[in-house]
Amino acid sequence: MNKTYYDKVHSWGRIWCVASLLFFLSIPLAIGLHFGVTPRADVVGKGIASIAFFFATGIVEVVAYSPLLGAGGTYLSFVTGNIMNLKMPCALNAMENAKVKANTEEGEVITTIAISASIIVTTLVIAIFVILFAINPSFSETMRSDTFAPAFQQVTYTIFGSLAATYFVKHWKISIFPIAAITLILVFAGNLAIGVLIPVGVVLSMLGAHVMYKMKLV
Amino acid sequence: MFSDFKSDGFMFLLILAVIVFVCAQALFFMSKAWKRGKELGITTDKLKNAVTSSAIFSFAPAVGIAVTVITLSVALGYVLPWIRLTVIGAIQYETTAAIAALESAGLSGGISAEVTDPQMFTEIAWVMTLGSILPLVLIPIILKKIQKGVSDVASKNSKWMDVMTGAAFIGLIAAFIGKGLAGVGSKSEPIIGDGAGVLSLAALVSSIGFMLIFTLLNKKLKKNWIDALAMPLSMVLAMVVVILINQFVPEIAAIEWRY
Repeated sequence: MNKTYYDKVHSWGRIWCVASLLFFLSIPLAIGLHFGVTPRADVVGKGIASIAFFFATGIVEVVAYSPLLGAGGTYLSFVTGNIMNLKMPCALNAMENAKVKANTEEGEVITTIAISASIIVTTLVIAIFVILFAINPSFSETMRSDTFAPAFQQVTYTIFGSLAATYFVKHWKISIFPIAAITLILVFAGNLAIGVLIPVGVVLSMLGAHVMYKMKLV
Repeated sequence: MFSDFKSDGFMFLLILAVIVFVCAQALFFMSKAWKRGKELGITTDKLKNAVTSSAIFSFAPAVGIAVTVITLSVALGYVLPWIRLTVIGAIQYETTAAIAALESAGLSGGISAEVTDPQMFTEIAWVMTLGSILPLVLIPIILKKIQKGVSDVASKNSKWMDVMTGAAFIGLIAAFIGKGLAGVGSKSEPIIGDGAGVLSLAALVSSIGFMLIFTLLNKKLKKNWIDALAMPLSMVLAMVVVILINQFVPEIAAIEWRY
């Protein structure tokens, strides 16, 4: 039987994923061997226990983001992280520009290319800037100064503002309800983490859109 | 600078291996997708546009990530945060994980206390790694099933699926917009601009405004480069607006209605 492109992506993705898993686990192992120390299980266990909620977030992220990122995009994104602030906006922007839809083979190709390009550039930019910061501490102080720090503090909003301009204009009918609902929720529970707000926003938005679809409003 | 054990030659070898691994994986998938894109009849212009746009877009957030590496470097040296933020890590996760790991190792000073014990350093590396690894275990097992389910639904009712996919994206964007409009800032660290206020609103409104201007410009001029640059440029220009407000009217910039 001929393998489809999707089948191939899943085969490659699984191999890379397992290789990544083993490679990433070998890093702390190698650090321990290099320094000749054995980590204390109770200290590691206590540390993991206090961030156990990240496991729940991890499960939600896989289920919620993978249909939007595409197969190749998901394998790549979860290996490199920074999904919400980098990979997802890249994928959305690239699909809009190429005028292709998520969950089509064209969408799959475009998101994979966009996310790959983002990974390479991000990895290299981080490397260059960390080296620059390390060599010249005054440069890092400038970037963290009162002049530039507020801009980096707001970078997420500039990303999602740009995306909103495209998506909300195109789908304004189904946009009003989720924005109003999320803002209202935040008025009463303002310190809800973004990791909670995203699944809530997605579910509310899909419910609202489903009702409007059934009422033939969209 | 690089004399302490946390940033020794071995640690640099590790980050070099990570960079090579991550870039190799991205290049592998990109070449396969590119080939498939050509088979599907997607024009080279569109494929190149996806690369250019993503590459330019990624620059500013990547600098933001590098700044996070520096923030964590006081406690952990340069290399471990650098590794963690190159693989799996995300800004929000790594800082929280680092603090949890430091506390479990018995350091109460958070990310401003330097780790001087190699054993403690190794334990922190384990906590940060194990805390984020679950998606890599789940994805090879469940991703194909999830995607098959989605594609089955899509083939049965494509219009409904289009509406639902659009709605999912909008829900996701709405979460961030809502946070910028009404989210409360950090209680433990009083940072200007982390709660909803003038700066978050300025960032949202100006990036939306710039993006709309570029969209209108593209409708008139019909140039490919506008498509590719619209989002990264809107983002950077909005960051400039934030810097200008903060520089010239700091008392207004400091206004937060949710602090």
